[in-house]
Amino acid sequence: KVYKLKLAETWPSNFPIFGDATKNMVAMAEKMSNGRLKITIDSKNKHKAALGIFDMVRAGQYDMGHSASYYWKGKDANTLFFTTMPFGMTAPEQYGWFYYGDGMELMKEVYDKHGILSFPGGNTGNQMGGWFQKEINSVDDLKGLKMRIPGFAGEVLAKLGAKPTNIPAGELYTSLERRTIDALEWVGPSLDLRMGFHKIAPYYYTGWHEPATELQFMINKRAWNKLPEDLQEILRVAMRTAAYDMYAQSYHASGENWAKMKTEYPDIKVKTFPKDVINAMRKANDELIAERAAKDPMAKKIIDSQAAYLKKVRVWSEISDNAYLNSQAAE
Amino acid sequence: MIGIIMFFAALLMLLVGFPVAFTFGGIALLFGVYAEGADMFAFMPFRIYSIMENTVLMAIPLFIFMGIVLQKTKLAEQLLESMGTLFGSVRGGLAISTILVGALLAASTGVVGASVVAMGLISLPVMLKYNYDKKLACGTICASGTLGQIIPPSIILIILGDVMGIPVGDLFKAAVAPGVVLIGVYVSYILIKAFLSPEAAPAMPVDQSKGTRQQQVFQAIKAVLPPLILILVVLGSIFAGIATPTESSALGGVGALVLALLYRQLNWKLVYESASETVKITAMVFAILLGATAFSMAFTYTGGDAIIEEILLGLPGEQMGFLILSMLVILVLGFFIDFVEISFIIVPMLAPVADAMGIAPLWFAILIAMNLQTSFLTPPFGFSLFYLKGVAPASVRTTDIYKGVIPFISMQVAIVITILLFPEFYGLN
Amino acid sequence: MLLKLENLINRFSDLLGVIAAVLLILLLLNVFYDVIMRYMFNDVSIGMQELEWHLYSTMFLLGVSYSLRHNGHVRVDLFYERRSPKTRAWIDIFGVLVLLLPFTLLVGYYGIGFTQEAYELNEQSGDPGGLPYRWVIKSMIPFAFFSVAVSGLGMLLHAVNVIRGIHEDEPTENFIP
Ligand code: NA
Ligand code: NA
Repeated sequence: KVYKLKLAETWPSNFPIFGDATKNMVAMAEKMSNGRLKITIDSKNKHKAALGIFDMVRAGQYDMGHSASYYWKGKDANTLFFTTMPFGMTAPEQYGWFYYGDGMELMKEVYDKHGILSFPGGNTGNQMGGWFQKEINSVDDLKGLKMRIPGFAGEVLAKLGAKPTNIPAGELYTSLERRTIDALEWVGPSLDLRMGFHKIAPYYYTGWHEPATELQFMINKRAWNKLPEDLQEILRVAMRTAAYDMYAQSYHASGENWAKMKTEYPDIKVKTFPKDVINAMRKANDELIAERAAKDPMAKKIIDSQAAYLKKVRVWSEISDNAYLNSQAAE
Repeated sequence: MIGIIMFFAALLMLLVGFPVAFTFGGIALLFGVYAEGADMFAFMPFRIYSIMENTVLMAIPLFIFMGIVLQKTKLAEQLLESMGTLFGSVRGGLAISTILVGALLAASTGVVGASVVAMGLISLPVMLKYNYDKKLACGTICASGTLGQIIPPSIILIILGDVMGIPVGDLFKAAVAPGVVLIGVYVSYILIKAFLSPEAAPAMPVDQSKGTRQQQVFQAIKAVLPPLILILVVLGSIFAGIATPTESSALGGVGALVLALLYRQLNWKLVYESASETVKITAMVFAILLGATAFSMAFTYTGGDAIIEEILLGLPGEQMGFLILSMLVILVLGFFIDFVEISFIIVPMLAPVADAMGIAPLWFAILIAMNLQTSFLTPPFGFSLFYLKGVAPASVRTTDIYKGVIPFISMQVAIVITILLFPEFYGLN
Repeated sequence: MLLKLENLINRFSDLLGVIAAVLLILLLLNVFYDVIMRYMFNDVSIGMQELEWHLYSTMFLLGVSYSLRHNGHVRVDLFYERRSPKTRAWIDIFGVLVLLLPFTLLVGYYGIGFTQEAYELNEQSGDPGGLPYRWVIKSMIPFAFFSVAVSGLGMLLHAVNVIRGIHEDEPTENFIP
């Protein structure tokens, strides 16, 4: 028997990297199941509802979705925690939390009441802090800074006096060029260069707010339960492999594009926020997170789990990768 | 297959004369429910909500409001009449003025609905008043209102940039030369047409009682300046970083009210009546968008995208042949489907092939953009034609508009051919 | 009786038109205010930015009814304009029954579930300072589509009244006065 599933993704058709992860997953699932799984992918240009995936999978209009969990925080505040958090875990740390810590279990608990199963769907790696028209030398420089930065990171900056601003994607380029806004964040070198921001803004800041953006595969529970156990397992493996693979692909594309950017546009000034700015952002972040934990026991459970895991695993990251990188760094 | 039958059913029903918006919606419903069941329409609220959240489309009501205020205060009429007067005995002055004002509007918005309707409101009554040939007047307005698609900022270019992975800024720069050529060709056409058939585009009548030619020119300049400054302020607000392109249309609306105040015409009645008419026209435009999104949903979900895929797989594997045939396919599909569908469904299939053949992506993108802007003008489904019909007086018939755009479509096709043959002239290789 | 019902429906559609016109003026002021605040006072409110599309979308959704009542929706008139008022009335009756009503009622129906979903989840904006109660704006979809169905009924009654000879002719309302 052939099981047909319909998948809706947030991205337009042929969107690089993110869209490749979907295609990879589907190709693997079909091959491994010897054609017993047939999954059709509908992109944004077909369903026209990039941010409607959650509702469509919830209602069963689509069996599956490929998107990102933090898009749904307006519908369920606790979905926020399963993508990435400012000052949170890096990609390897977070994969550890998902697969060997409490991550999957907690995500299951949050999505259960919506009749959805959620799985990691591919990682972009550390995202850049964004393109700035002016340098940020102190916390004062953040005051009144008009920046396109959606979601929770926007809340953090707003707490420090910055002005998160909504600008439609199609008008971002003109707005940053004409300085209608002072700054914006997008993804990182893997996807920023095709937007052309490097031609109009001199400063490219390193990241703080999305250290490990994990996309998401979703499946409607009723659709999942209809699958025989072996196909469920095949799907699980295909999703997990495609997710890892996207992390590798993102790393590769970022490396390639970074090198290209440095040779073709040597004038771009790559900056890191000064220590006191980072500290202020972290303080604002911690206060906001504490507010959430105080309001909602489930939020507290996730926040505590992430904090505990990070505390343990970060020591290892520092002694392994970090120490290694530092020992290699040119003086 | 159902997709193709759907097209002909829609065409037939459109001809019967029931409103376009509900014809699209109703046909989508009949075929969609027949092929896939009623549940397909559970997608509709999502599609509608996407249109509601699309703030770029906000430029449509705001620009229409500006156009209506300028029209009601007679400032638009003065602007065009005075520009026409400046052309003196040269025939076609009003039409050329329309093209130039249209080009300025085009540079501040990339939304066709906004500029075609605004130009229709501003300049169609004036051209008709001075006995312009209806067909010529309609063609000029549709063509100049559609310029917004190629003159940056433009939605087509932004979407193409996204789909093809080209920086938007590069596309904007590359579009300038073809856009300017297009304007130049339109203006030359008007001059030649007016020379060959004077009755189609008469010169402004010279009224000796209004003083010497010199005095009249002075008067004309005085009348041209305020509305022209308004339009330049709208444009300037984008360049100065005061407003996004969408927001600039609100500055245009407020600016039009300020002008009305300066000319002592501002009162509550003017504001309310302008708002009320704006609502009517905006609703007409958006109803078409709502009907069209239902139509394209039914088309793609009943397998229409597979039909198109099949056609594209048959394209030749050699550069010039591929370019010519892909342009033809886009042109023909443009008769039926809207440009967003084409950019998202067809371009992603063509672009990698073009890339592999060593066709410069910018060149290919501009070719497609020029081609897609033509799709707004092609009967029977060209959106510009519907929009103009929606704001034209009853004496203007659909056939006038259909016939009127044909010369402009031919010019656009001719320019696409020149871009195809001489990309270096446009700096595209 | 039919005439009375038609007039009642027309008054309803006109009321939506008044509301939409006021929303448009508010939209104009809203965008203008946001631009001035951002440029002159360096102040941005995401809530006010979101209010823009709330106003604009409600305006055009309600306007569809109003426009329908005033015959403001474009028709392709190649065939239509040469017909007698009675033939046109028959076209409208056919169109309302076969195209308009099924379309608007079905979309309106699915709009209810769409709104209900947002209500149950208490969906709100995901951005800092954004607006709460997404179900309110989402409820505009079913409300507007059912309103268009009602206005379509008005169109139907009008056509019936033309055929019965109660109306002299169709309203040749000129779109641009
Ligand atoms: Na980002
Ligand atoms: Na434009």
